[in-house]
Amino acid sequence: MPDSKDLSSPELIKDKGSYHPINQMKDSLMNLLISYGFEIVEGPEIETEEFNFDMLNIKKSHPARQMHDTFYVNNKSNVLRTHTSPVQIRGMLQKKPPLAFISGGKVYRKDDDATHLPMFHQIEGIYVDEEVSFANLKDLIYKIVKALFGDDVKLRFRPSYFPFTEPSAEVDILSQNGKWLEILGCGIVNPVVLENCKINSEKYSGFAFGLGIERIAMLKFGVRDIRDFYKSNLDFLNQFK
Amino acid sequence: MKISYKHIANCLIPRPDIGELSEKLFQLGHEHEIFEEIFDIEITPNRGDCLSLDGLLRDLKLFYEIEKKHDIFQKEILPFKFEFENKAKECCSNISFLKIEIDEVPKRYEDFLDDYFSILNVKKINFFTDVSNFLSYETGQPTHCYDSSKLNEPIMLDFLDKETEFETLLDKKIKISEGDLVFFDKDKNVINLAGVVGGKNTECNKNTKSVIVECAHFNPEIIIGKSLKYDISSDAAYKFERNTDPYSHDFVLRRFIKIVESHTQIKKVELLSKSYAKNIYKFIPTEITKINKILGTKINENECLTYLNKLGFEFSEGKIKVPSHRNDISTTNDIAEEIARAIGYDNIKSEPLNISVTNNFKVNFEEKKIKKILIDHGFYEVINNPFVIENFSESVTVDNPLDSNRKYLRTGLKHSLINNLLFNERRQKDSVKLFEISDVYTNTDHGSFGKRTIGVIASGRIDKNFLNFSKKITKDYLEDVLTQLRLEKFSVEEISRDTLNSKSKNKIVFCEFEIDSSLVLDSFFDDLRLDDITGKEYKPISEYPSSFRDLSFSIKDYSQCKLLEKFILNYEHNLLKEAFVFDYYKNEKLKEIKIGFRLIFQSSKGTITDNEVDIVMDEIISSALAIDDTVSIPGLS
Repeated sequence: MPDSKDLSSPELIKDKGSYHPINQMKDSLMNLLISYGFEIVEGPEIETEEFNFDMLNIKKSHPARQMHDTFYVNNKSNVLRTHTSPVQIRGMLQKKPPLAFISGGKVYRKDDDATHLPMFHQIEGIYVDEEVSFANLKDLIYKIVKALFGDDVKLRFRPSYFPFTEPSAEVDILSQNGKWLEILGCGIVNPVVLENCKINSEKYSGFAFGLGIERIAMLKFGVRDIRDFYKSNLDFLNQFK
Repeated sequence: MKISYKHIANCLIPRPDIGELSEKLFQLGHEHEIFEEIFDIEITPNRGDCLSLDGLLRDLKLFYEIEKKHDIFQKEILPFKFEFENKAKECCSNISFLKIEIDEVPKRYEDFLDDYFSILNVKKINFFTDVSNFLSYETGQPTHCYDSSKLNEPIMLDFLDKETEFETLLDKKIKISEGDLVFFDKDKNVINLAGVVGGKNTECNKNTKSVIVECAHFNPEIIIGKSLKYDISSDAAYKFERNTDPYSHDFVLRRFIKIVESHTQIKKVELLSKSYAKNIYKFIPTEITKINKILGTKINENECLTYLNKLGFEFSEGKIKVPSHRNDISTTNDIAEEIARAIGYDNIKSEPLNISVTNNFKVNFEEKKIKKILIDHGFYEVINNPFVIENFSESVTVDNPLDSNRKYLRTGLKHSLINNLLFNERRQKDSVKLFEISDVYTNTDHGSFGKRTIGVIASGRIDKNFLNFSKKITKDYLEDVLTQLRLEKFSVEEISRDTLNSKSKNKIVFCEFEIDSSLVLDSFFDDLRLDDITGKEYKPISEYPSSFRDLSFSIKDYSQCKLLEKFILNYEHNLLKEAFVFDYYKNEKLKEIKIGFRLIFQSSKGTITDNEVDIVMDEIISSALAIDDTVSIPGLS
C-alpha cells in the first residue's frame, strides 16, 4: 500500500465501468423531457393485442399486425410490444387530462439484418390538454432536436402516416454530407385513440412523438453499425465512459 | 414504387426541374430517392391512391396545372354476356370483365408504351399483359388478363374449401390454403388467386388475340399477407392491400381499350360490370375553425376549400365530399392533414408550449443507484436480446421466432452474461466485469409475468492499477461489492468452466436478483444529461489481436517518477492502445523506486508483429531514459 504522503507514487486509477451507450442516450433524453414537464410511465414488454394495436387504432388488417412483423407469444395470446405507445394508453386510462407522459424502453419487431434488429429502444411522449396544436408540437420538436444536435441544426417536417396520429409527420435533420436523415415520428393524437381511452376528443387534443434511441445514438456517437451496441465488447463499451 | 421523372414532368405546367419536383413530393409526404431520373418513392401505406402516375399527379395538382395525355375509348361498349357468380361480395364489391378481340398482335409498341418498358427497365411479357402492367403504372388499378380461349365459363369467385395446388403464371407451384379467395372455372379448377396472381392454365401468350380483362376492387383485408405467405412478388397484391378506387373501373377499362386500339384493329369489345356496394362516398363537415385549432394556424375558409378542391374534394351544404380514391380520409383531422400538406408542414409556424401538469406517477431511482455503485467498481452495463434456445417449463414461447435458436424468451440473465464474458475473454481481456438489468418474463398460472432483474458477472483481475493488478476476482470480492447494495439476501455463485469451452483458470462469479420495491438504497445516482454525452465520439475498434509489453524502471531520484509516469501514460502512437502502471514499489532502504508499466499494442490493419511493437518500444525506451540519468531499466545493457 503506498504511503499517502508518498508524493512520487503514481496516481491510483480505479478503472470505472460505464453505462451502456443506449441507456446513456435514453436516460439523458428522458431527463431532458422531464425538464419540459413530462412524467415517466412504465409498462410491460409483453403486451395484449388490445393495448399494442386496437387501442391505438391499428386495425386488424394493418400489415404491422402480421406474423412477419410482430412477435406473437404463447399461442398468439400476447405480443412483444412493437412500440412503447401501449404504455401511454395505460397511462391515459389511469389519469385524466391534462397529462404529459414519456415512456422509454425495449421494443420488438421481426427484423434482423445489418440495419434492423429484432430488439431496439424507443422513447415516446404524449401531451393531452385543451387546444393542443400541431404548432405546439413543432415547438417541442425544435427544442428536442436542438438540444440533441445543436442550435444550428437544420430540420424539416414531412407528412407521414401512423394510425394513432393524424396529421402525422416525420422529422429529418440535414447531415454534414448534405443528406436528410429521419430521426423521429410525431403527430396530433388521433381522436379515435383519445376516445378509446375515455378522453373527450371534442374537449381535449394532444400530440405524440417517438424516437428510436439506436438511430439517435448512432448519429450522436458516430457508430456506423447498429449491431455494435449489442456485442457487449468491452473495447466498444469502454469508449462511452 | 419506381416512377419516371419524365412521365410526371411531362404532365405538369409549368414543367419543374427534378430538384423542384423532389421538394414538392417531400412536402406531400412522398419520401423518395432518385436514381438516374427515376424516383423510387416510398408511398405511406394509407396512400394506396398514389401508387401510380395518375395518383401522384392528383396530389401535385396542388402546385401545378395538369395536362394528362391519357385518352380513353369514348364509344359505347356492348354488354358482355359472361357467366360470372360472385360468392364473396363482402370481399369484392365491384368487378368488371372486358372482352377484347383483335385482328393482329402488334409487332411493335407505340413510343409511350415502349418508353415505360425501357425507362423503367420492365420486362415485356405479351401484348395484353404488357398493356395491363402499363395501365397499373399509369392508373394504379391492377387488371388481370385471361386468354378467353382457355377460360371455361361459368367463372365463380369464392373461398377455397380445401388446400389446393395451384400453378401460377410465374411458373411457380404453390399450395393455397382453405379459406383463400380464388376464381374457379366451370370444372372447379382454380384459375386465379384473387388479387395476387393468375394461373398458368388461363394465361395469355404472345399469340393471344382474344382476352378477358378482369378489373376488380378487393377488400384489402382479404389480400394482406398473401404475397408474403406464398412468396410471390405481386404488384397487384401490393396495390390491393393498400386499397384501390372502386369507382375507377370504367375509366381504366376504357383506357385499356384505347391503348389496344392505338396498336391494332379491334374486332370486338364487350363489357360486364357488377357493383354490389351501395354508394360509398364519404361526407365530412366543413369545420375550418377546428382545422385551425388542430394545426395552430389561421387559414381562412376560402384558402382551405381551394386546396381541397385542387385535391378533388367537392362541397355542398356545409359538407366536404371525399373523392372515391381517398379511402384514407374520414375525419376532420384527415382534412387538417390535407391542408397542412398543401401549405407545407415546414410553413406552419411553431407556437410556444408550456407544459404544466401535476405529476403523480412514482419514479423508482433505486435501479439508477445500483448502476452507479457497480460502475464505480469497474462494471460495464450490457444489453442482450431475450431470445434463446433454452426451454424451461415456465418459458414464454415465441410463436413465430426468427429461427429455431431463438424460440423462447430467457428466464434469467445468466446465460447471456456468461456468453458476454467468454466473448471478451476470447478477445484477450484479463478482467471482465459486467452487469445487465432487464425485465425477465416467465409463464405463471395467471399469464406471463415480468420481473425486473439484475445479473452481475465477473472474472479475472480485480483492477489493472498497481494495487489490484495481481488480485483475482473471487466470490468474496463480488459479495463485498454487492454488500453495498444492502440487500436482505443475495447469493453469489461460482460458475464452473467445465462446460464452457474455456481454458482460463480465472474463477467466474455471478449473482442475479430481482429489483423490487423493497430495495431502498441510501446512495447517489447519476442523473445523465445530454451535455454529459456530448463529445463522446466512437472510434472503430480493431478485430485483430493485441500484444502487450511490460516495462520496468528503476528510479533513484524520486522526483523523476512523476515525470516518467506522465511521459509513458501520455505517449501517443497509433499502435499503442493503452498504457497503465501495474507495479510500484518504493524501497526507502535502497533509495530506489521500481515502477512497472504495461503497454498494449494493436493495429487496425492486421495482426500486429513483434517488429512493429519493437520499433515503438525503442522510441519509448530511449525517450524515457533521456528523462534523467537516475532512470534506468534493470537488465538493459
